[in-house]
Amino acid sequence: MPELTYREAVRDALGKALREDDSVFIMGEDIAEMGGSMAVTQGLLDEFGPTRVRNTPISEMAIVGSGIGAAIQGMRPIVEIMYEDFLTISMEQLVNQAAKHRTMSGGQISVPLTIRTQGGAGWSPGAQHAQQLEAWFVHVPGLKVVFASTPEDARGLLWSAIYDDNPTVFFEHRTLYSIKGEVSDELQPIPLGKARIHREGSDVTVVATGRLVHESLQAAEEAEKDGISVEVVDPRTLLPLDEQTIVESVKKTARCVTAHEAVTRGGFGAELAAVIQHAAFDWLDAPIERVGAAFAPLAFAPGMEQWAVPHADDVLEAIRRTVARG
Amino acid sequence: MATEVKLPRLGQGMESGTIVRWLKTEGDAVSKGEPLYELDTDKVTQEVEADSDGVLLKIVISDGEVDVGTTVGIIGAQDEDVSALLADAQGGNGDAPAAAASEAPTAEDATPPQAEQQPAPPPSDTESQAEPSDTESQAEPSAPSEATEAPPARAEGERVKASPLARRIARERGVDLSLISGTGPEGRVIAEDVEKAAVQPAAPSAPAAAPEFEVVELTSTRKTIARRLTEAWQAPVFQLTVTADATELVATRERMVELMRESDTKPTVSDVLTRLVASALVRHPPVNANFVDGKLHRFSAANVGLAVAAPAGLVVPVIRDADRKSVQQIAADRADIVSRARDGKLALVDLEGGTFTISNLGMYGIEQFIAVLNPPQVAILAVGSIEDRPTAIDGEFAIVPTMAMTLTCDHRAIDGSEGAEFLRGVKAYVESPALAL
Repeated sequence: MPELTYREAVRDALGKALREDDSVFIMGEDIAEMGGSMAVTQGLLDEFGPTRVRNTPISEMAIVGSGIGAAIQGMRPIVEIMYEDFLTISMEQLVNQAAKHRTMSGGQISVPLTIRTQGGAGWSPGAQHAQQLEAWFVHVPGLKVVFASTPEDARGLLWSAIYDDNPTVFFEHRTLYSIKGEVSDELQPIPLGKARIHREGSDVTVVATGRLVHESLQAAEEAEKDGISVEVVDPRTLLPLDEQTIVESVKKTARCVTAHEAVTRGGFGAELAAVIQHAAFDWLDAPIERVGAAFAPLAFAPGMEQWAVPHADDVLEAIRRTVARG
Repeated sequence: MATEVKLPRLGQGMESGTIVRWLKTEGDAVSKGEPLYELDTDKVTQEVEADSDGVLLKIVISDGEVDVGTTVGIIGAQDEDVSALLADAQGGNGDAPAAAASEAPTAEDATPPQAEQQPAPPPSDTESQAEPSDTESQAEPSAPSEATEAPPARAEGERVKASPLARRIARERGVDLSLISGTGPEGRVIAEDVEKAAVQPAAPSAPAAAPEFEVVELTSTRKTIARRLTEAWQAPVFQLTVTADATELVATRERMVELMRESDTKPTVSDVLTRLVASALVRHPPVNANFVDGKLHRFSAANVGLAVAAPAGLVVPVIRDADRKSVQQIAADRADIVSRARDGKLALVDLEGGTFTISNLGMYGIEQFIAVLNPPQVAILAVGSIEDRPTAIDGEFAIVPTMAMTLTCDHRAIDGSEGAEFLRGVKAYVESPALAL
């Protein structure tokens, strides 16, 4: 099986869609000649030309708004928001327009728009270029929210996002672009709303997203040395959520840790914990532990940044708390 | 000036009581003599009255077991600052409800309270904002320790900490969680603990479905009955039975009913019997006695206790000086205490000072039975039904109403002959009530 980086996997899905479907086009800040600030769209301008690979002014509101217009008109636009921090500027278009049109038009209009964005700490981008805001969008009916953690998932999920008739916010993680992973020869679409069990275990379930999937897998290996068997589940799609897979896993292990890089308070882990405690109340043998970032604007200083966001050892500690004795 | 409401001692030997509920809420005006709260002692449930006027400013202890003398509430003037009084009261009370429990403190109880508090917030705003999530994700896990086999140290009525899974397994397998020592954080019972506990008794190969049952908590009264009667069972007892011709007893009672005034309580056969037994008691001091700390207390008056089935359990209110009362007065007293017993309105004073007890199950058609001693009394009389039975009189068969009476005697205090003489006296009075004059 071929191996791709996460970055290449995203590009592969974009290229295939552009190649096979004239209704697909991409636009965003510096995505054409420069190939995007994270080099995801490199080479696409050469292959598909400036009509289908378009630079935009620095206006996230305009980027999303024009994407909505094109989508309503029958296109399948993929727009890029350079940093997910800047999704906040496009909030009106995203929350009040994109998410609402299908319902408010009685189904006459659909908005098959994909909004790619990225974020995450680990390279000192400072407080305004490193947030993890996925939970904001899970709160908005009418949107779909995807957070891919591996090359294979990124490619297959992005494809499904492009071909979903609803506006989909597709989160990538800055520090995952360079990781490599095996992918199938041909792009295999991965349905939205389907979780992935990365590792099976019997003592505790870790439900992790984004970078924390990898940290959790590392924590699971450490825990294994102490005889603690950890199951790691990545929901991959946060909205809609594959509650069944997650709940079944927790019913099997009786303990659960949620893990994401976003701040703990009001994070997606809170939603997971609520879903799990309700559906698996009589199966829980310990309180659900949440792992996330400290509740503070992220520091620029590398040492402080590392302290603020969670790593494998934080997940491991949480795992140990759930199986604690005495 | 605010005053503390302290749990009163309502009878001799009362050390504590259980507050069932308050009849007033904080902020209510109360006047002296008004019922303030309901108190369950080991004998009765009764309303405790306010002993001052004012506003109920604070309910210090809303329910649960409380030692005598503990401050349970504060009455004072509207808006009066009682924080000092309250601090005193709470300091003085300590952990009042728990203080009643005598269990040794667990290791956790001994932990200084500070240990459970969050660390002091760091100086900067940013840091203090970071605190909650930080605390959550980095809370100190307790050091793992070996599970001990010691029984769980919990105060009576304390909620058992158990995980939802542990609770479900316990429910399914019929395991009593309160008997399990939890090995989870803070002593929480976790699934593994229940599973261990469930397999400890030699489990049958095919577990039979446990029959459904209802768990009924014992009332204070019921607990007292259980404790006292278990104590009573340790006394060496013997029983004596006589059968008396009840013709005159019944006739006497009927004549009394005919002659009673409209305002009188209608006397029953039992009332007449109470009076007759009381007369016999004062004539037979060995039977009219209490056995206390290896000594006999012999009484000159007969305070006759009547076993009454009350909703909360058996109670034995006392008719004082029954040997000196008319049957009519005994009937009035009896009607009063029985109705109050059934309403749960007896006071401790109604139950104290008995020198002897009569238990009558004749109205249920019980012909003869054996009563268990009511300590510290040394004897109790079990009275059966009065029914027409074939009897030999002067060599002839006759059908007469008869009644069997069985005397249970504490042999530490009474010998067989003493019990027999008393019972013979009772029989004589029953057959010729006029002899009791």
